[in-house]
Amino acid sequence: MIALRDLILAFADDEHLIGQQHTEWIGVTPFLEEDLAFSSIGQDELGHAALLYELALELDDLAPSDTAIDSLAYERPSDEYRSSAFTEYTTNDWAETIVRHWVYDQAEMLRWINVTGSSHQPLAEIVDRVTAEEVYHRLHADAILDSLLANADASSRLVDALERLAPLVPTVLASVDGEDDLVKHRVIRQRTDTLLPDLVTNIDIRFGRTITAPTPSVGRRSRSSSFAPLMSRMREVFDIDPAAIW
Amino acid sequence: MATYEVFLKKDGRDEFRHAGALDAANDDLALVLARESYLRRAEGNRLWLVRRDNLIIAGEDFVEPNTDKPHRHHDGSAVAAHRKATRESKT
Repeated sequence: MIALRDLILAFADDEHLIGQQHTEWIGVTPFLEEDLAFSSIGQDELGHAALLYELALELDDLAPSDTAIDSLAYERPSDEYRSSAFTEYTTNDWAETIVRHWVYDQAEMLRWINVTGSSHQPLAEIVDRVTAEEVYHRLHADAILDSLLANADASSRLVDALERLAPLVPTVLASVDGEDDLVKHRVIRQRTDTLLPDLVTNIDIRFGRTITAPTPSVGRRSRSSSFAPLMSRMREVFDIDPAAIW
Repeated sequence: MATYEVFLKKDGRDEFRHAGALDAANDDLALVLARESYLRRAEGNRLWLVRRDNLIIAGEDFVEPNTDKPHRHHDGSAVAAHRKATRESKT
């Protein structure tokens, strides 16, 4: 049960943090239409996070109210989060952001496929709805890369960005503790960390570049140095008056 | 980058209507951006994009001479007035 809760939280936390970080580009993407599209995608990811937090709350026998979801999303001690360094990382420029967007959505697709037909019924039930939206996320990321990789200057910036992100890539497919049991009980098809070679192959094909050999699973027990500043940005308004009723 | 004109149509009898325009680097991106910029709240069920480059655009003076042809605005009033005058002259 702990492993299942951790698996769901890991997915929810990654969706939450990537959604938040995408939406931080509101108003500053290179052009207006991209601004709308990218923040929409961020909004979708936040929606997926909320669905997954609801599943975690069900496991805790708690009603999935907005307050309960907020409290899971914003108010846990950092060691109770199960997010990855890849989604905690704050990108330095648009190139890193676009590369992370593409890599994340590839990893996300592999994770949803991994829970398709899950024996944990509530998880299996949200797959179709979420993956229908993910098609557009990947179309968006691929269309941008199609355009930018064809340009020498843009392409070299993207490949540099990929090199900088490469060490973090394996963390997004890190397993939670106890995944072997989840495989045995058919909650997931295979351990999350065994999806990494597929992700690396997809990156190879897309960028024509093999990223540094992936490190073995790093687990999801500790947070990277980007986490605390990110959480403080996310809680900025909330922290002005924690007792306020919204 | 190219500019695309966006047309939307709702299911039913309504025709495609011009909704606006957007800039995009390629056709795929134009579709995604149109979906997020003009269809966020299901404003239409069908979407057309036309690259502005592909529009055939008439010059203003090509159209202008037709602004001064009142005889083509026949709403029937001239005929009605004529018939009325004829009718009244007979009585």
